[in-house]
Amino acid sequence: MKIINKDYDAVVVGAGHAGCEAALALARTGIKTLMLTLSLDSIGFLACNPSIGGTAKGQIVSEIDALGGEMGIVADKTAILMRMLNMGKGPAVHSLRAQEDKIEYHNEMKSVLENEKNLDIRQGEATKILHKNGEIYGIETDLNETYYCKAVVLCTGVYLKSQIIIGDHVEDTGPNGFKRANKLTQSLIDCGFEIYRFKTGTPTRVHFDSIDTTELEKQYGDEGISPFSYKTKKQPKNVAVCYLTYTNQNTHKIIMDNLEKSPMYNGLITGVGPRYCPSIETKIVRFKDKERHQLFLEPESLHTKETYVQGLSTSLPVDVQKEMLNSIKGLEKAKIMRDAYAIEYDCINSLQLYPTLEYKNIKGLFCAGQINGTSGYEEAACQGLIAGINASREIQGKSQLVLKRNEAMIGVLIDDLVTKGTDEPYRMLTSRAEYRLHLRQDNCDLRLTEIGREYGLVDDERWKIFLRKKNGIKKAKKELTKIIAPSKQINDMLESVGETPLYTGASVDNLLKRANVTAKMLQQTLGIFREIKDDVLNELTIETKYEGYIQKEEKQIEEAKRQEKMLLPKNFDYSQIAGLRLEAREKLNKVMPLNMGQASRISGVSPADISVLTVYLKSKKLI
Amino acid sequence: MEKNKTICAISTPIGNGGISIVRLSGNKSRKILQKITPLDTEKMEARKMYLTKIHTKNFDEQALVVWFKEPYSYTGEEMVEIQCHGGIIIANGILNELLAKGATLAESGEFSKRAFINGKMSLDSAEGVIDMINAQSEEAVKAGYSLLSGKLKERVNEIQQSLTDCQAKLEVAIDYPEEDIEYSTTQEIKGDIETATKKIQELLDTASTGRLVKNGINVLILGKPNAGKSSLLNALVGYNRAIVTDIAGTTRDTVEDSYTYKNMSFNVIDTAGIRKAESIVEQLGIERAEQLVKNSDIILVVLDGSRPIEEDDKKILALVKDKIVLYVINKIDLPKKINATFDKMIEVSALRREKVEKLKEDIYNLVVDKNMLSGGLLITNTRHVNALTRANESLKNALEELALNTPLDLVATDIKTAWLALGEITGKNSNQEIIDTIFSKFCLGK
Repeated sequence: MKIINKDYDAVVVGAGHAGCEAALALARTGIKTLMLTLSLDSIGFLACNPSIGGTAKGQIVSEIDALGGEMGIVADKTAILMRMLNMGKGPAVHSLRAQEDKIEYHNEMKSVLENEKNLDIRQGEATKILHKNGEIYGIETDLNETYYCKAVVLCTGVYLKSQIIIGDHVEDTGPNGFKRANKLTQSLIDCGFEIYRFKTGTPTRVHFDSIDTTELEKQYGDEGISPFSYKTKKQPKNVAVCYLTYTNQNTHKIIMDNLEKSPMYNGLITGVGPRYCPSIETKIVRFKDKERHQLFLEPESLHTKETYVQGLSTSLPVDVQKEMLNSIKGLEKAKIMRDAYAIEYDCINSLQLYPTLEYKNIKGLFCAGQINGTSGYEEAACQGLIAGINASREIQGKSQLVLKRNEAMIGVLIDDLVTKGTDEPYRMLTSRAEYRLHLRQDNCDLRLTEIGREYGLVDDERWKIFLRKKNGIKKAKKELTKIIAPSKQINDMLESVGETPLYTGASVDNLLKRANVTAKMLQQTLGIFREIKDDVLNELTIETKYEGYIQKEEKQIEEAKRQEKMLLPKNFDYSQIAGLRLEAREKLNKVMPLNMGQASRISGVSPADISVLTVYLKSKKLI
Repeated sequence: MEKNKTICAISTPIGNGGISIVRLSGNKSRKILQKITPLDTEKMEARKMYLTKIHTKNFDEQALVVWFKEPYSYTGEEMVEIQCHGGIIIANGILNELLAKGATLAESGEFSKRAFINGKMSLDSAEGVIDMINAQSEEAVKAGYSLLSGKLKERVNEIQQSLTDCQAKLEVAIDYPEEDIEYSTTQEIKGDIETATKKIQELLDTASTGRLVKNGINVLILGKPNAGKSSLLNALVGYNRAIVTDIAGTTRDTVEDSYTYKNMSFNVIDTAGIRKAESIVEQLGIERAEQLVKNSDIILVVLDGSRPIEEDDKKILALVKDKIVLYVINKIDLPKKINATFDKMIEVSALRREKVEKLKEDIYNLVVDKNMLSGGLLITNTRHVNALTRANESLKNALEELALNTPLDLVATDIKTAWLALGEITGKNSNQEIIDTIFSKFCLGK
């Protein structure tokens, strides 16, 4: 018996990090939304490491937050240890990372979703995408339900026809024993998607009491650092401890002796794995000279003694896992609670999406997260947010949001996906961003809050916080031109931080440009910047010191903007331009770039091709 | 596209014309011109010729300039034309000055492309413009890549690769702060950069020979009046060149012509315009004389063998120290009265054209570094010189920053800029190269 449901305007398939943001973005912009998930117990589940943030990823979480997403707020609330990475380097690369309480994170996120008024959550498997004349009209489930809707966001994670592999044991299942999605891949193929098979893995979890931590190096959190979310008022908890240990020659011997049992090397695994997240056997085979590999022991939650062994991802058989684990210092008697496994899954070719994350062939069908070939909670969440916003805008007939490469790490990530594509699970790295000095952790709010407000996700509370900071900076900047005369106070301060004292007057701006001087010091010594809060002072310090470099970047940004403004015709057949090289024609037809900037970033499209394209389109008055 | 860049190029063929034209097109044309002239460019009237000075690094030139107001110009953009004296030295000097002041070297066909885009050419010529761009890129492939594909590209590739490695080291420290890997020390990175700048400099050093191959060798003839300079010029080029009359009020004080010897082109510059009985220094002014000396690759100092060394000769001898000089003792058909010998000298009779072949051979041997020629590793392309120079400047910045303990992410910015500049020659300009290097060289990940 078929059940027809017409209650919703949008359906989000999946309740992982992408699904959660997509569903919230839709519901919060007034769209009646249904979230379909294979298991209610897997909502916002941290399936691999119990941490959020890190280099480039920390920036993404704060960007999500500035746009009005949820990840940063929940991550701050359920953090149990926070560290600011790269403190020894320049502020552009400071990155926040938090150890999360996995159980709390899931509970908190589920509760946020449950309390969202336009959102319903339903356990069930989506099996078929319904579309007609190039437009979406619904989703079918395995229990014969049909949900009619105007937009669908697919956030299927690693669940499409997933297989878990441990040694020679292969099982058709989702991660962590959750059910997998059996039928949706076929429906995607029927919709015209190209399907790739990717692979990733997760390490062993051991019982904390079976670890001998007495001789292991401890890692504590940093105190007094700014959290992910600009809305978080309460300083996040810093109660957990991580431990550091290393593999050794004996561990490596055990692995090498058993290499033929590894599905990575005996041909059982065919999916493409990420280079940045290799299994321990891959590390040892590829880097033979390395004497030891670092492992972090991270608590999964305050409610359990399960401990995550970061760095020991493997698909070796269980007996070998145990043997190699017990060869490691501190883990001699470690008891395995969950085995490490490799997981293979289906994903799509992201070149088939627009930068809005909408599928080029079916209006109203959006994809976000691991289905697009990325890896990582943060990467998934930010795509979910953008796909959710754009699905909502489409339903409302409003213009869509595409963040530029110079506006956000999120812009870099999505542009890479839809312009260059990826042949391995894609992880964000700061080196992928041309304008890294601009895309910092500290200024995500300044870069994106206004955009978030425009697109309807920034509430009044966040808006007020933003305006205070923005106005504070404006006010403080006025004092930069003040001239400071030499005095005992200022010179004592300068000498105490190893700077040469003043002999003549100097502007505040000049003082602040000195390597070891901060706005906070000047506030305390000179009584300037009165009533200016610390976050503003920090911003001012960074901006002033980096001014020259930021200007260099801004010049490049201006150049890039001109190309971005040249919009290309939609659904244009590039094969008709005789002057283009064949490779360029094919690539352009495949990617269907939105503007000349995007076209110029496609590999295989040369500057001469861009010239030809410009001349051709101008002559036809198409641009 | 790059519509807002102001481009410039020498528009007249390189050769022996009486004047050369350097053109600028783009909305900064007048602003850039302003940087090299005392003329108030804001107050210029469109399409009116102005006689003014053009300052360059090495010389001042008296030139005519015209401003074309957008859209009433060839390209349909604001344009400036600078009409200067003929010959490669002056036009090149002005071009380089414009590049230094913010103009971009035009791609070939770019003026026409802009003319087309701005509706200054008919629509049916679209195909033609596309052909031109393609021809140009093919030419670039041939000249820029295939021709040099042997050693030059390999060398630049090598340097870029070493910077890729260097960047990967920095990036891994930035993107993977918690890994148990040996992060490179500032010292190591400094070493990498120093090696790279040294190699780039070596390449840039070949540019002067490369320029000689491409544009010819500038041979300046200096000598007191009646030493036989014009005869020598005529003897070298092989025919009697019409002597340009020294008309009062013009600045035609030099005469250029060229000849070819062993596949190299020689531009001979004679101060023939000066025929009054005044010394060259007084006639030209010391600055102009110095400028001519500075821009020449070899100087032929012509001495009258039938007379002893005189005061005028001494002034010239003082002018040419530190340059490659060949002393030409002329008039050996007359009784010899000259009372000096020089390290590099040759006795000729320009009038009777005696020993002219030997003179050409001596000039060739003194200027052309045969090692460089046989090595085949010459940079002849202004664009390549430009890219290498920018790369080197960025690397020098990076070294200064390292010395000042600047945070590594900032140093990385300058290395990246240098890397991208080299990429203009090698064609490699994607971040992916660096990311690939990170993963092939370092063991990373959870």
